[in-house]
Amino acid sequence: MSTDSRKNALRHFFARIVEPMGFKFTPDEELADFLLAQEVKLEEKHGIPFCPCQPIRRDRARDMQIVCPCIPFHRKHFDAMRRCWCGLFVHQDVTDPTSLPQMSAKDLGLE
Amino acid sequence: MSEFVKAIRAEEIAPGGMRTVELKGHQFVVCNCGGTFHAIDRRCGHMNAPLEMGTLDGTIVTCGMHCAQFDVTTGEALAGPVPAYLGNEVPPPRTGALLRNVGLFMQNVRTEPIGCYPAKVEGGWVWIAL
Repeated sequence: MSTDSRKNALRHFFARIVEPMGFKFTPDEELADFLLAQEVKLEEKHGIPFCPCQPIRRDRARDMQIVCPCIPFHRKHFDAMRRCWCGLFVHQDVTDPTSLPQMSAKDLGLE
Repeated sequence: MSEFVKAIRAEEIAPGGMRTVELKGHQFVVCNCGGTFHAIDRRCGHMNAPLEMGTLDGTIVTCGMHCAQFDVTTGEALAGPVPAYLGNEVPPPRTGALLRNVGLFMQNVRTEPIGCYPAKVEGGWVWIAL
């Protein structure tokens, strides 16, 4: 199993999930490639492509909320940022992902 | 040298569908990937489950047994099995022992690539090169 093939497969499946939610892969190809490579590693270790930027807590209910793409579980937060926590996905109208800072839900007044 | 063998009528497989055929004593799954046909071995490269009982999405087939995935255009294994979730309840001792025993075997099972074969449509039939 090659990392590149798996990355392409994840792209295929993720696009089908995120596009109806108004998101797309970040135009920053280098970042997308790096994040997907980390997810492939996590999938090899755990059998599940967890978000590479959030901690795995060994609590099934919480861990299932960080399986990529985790947008449905953090919709309000990610819509406010116009990106997901990692930045792998951004709103479909975003052309410059560097202009979107990573902000906690608390800082955005959502908690 | 391989020769094309008549396998199945193309109209019998809807786009996104799969059908099993047996040719020369070997079982294949013919996949209709949006109008392009591909032929692969019937047996999953993980634990030999019949792949036509899984799902086909684009050119990726997912085995229905443990969700191992393969590219039907190359036969390459794209993902191994998804780990089973047995819940938080502690199983009865005998069941627990059985699961541990199965787990010992399972952790040594590798997901291997599957065979894939050139396919073409001619005269309304799918032909597979064997």
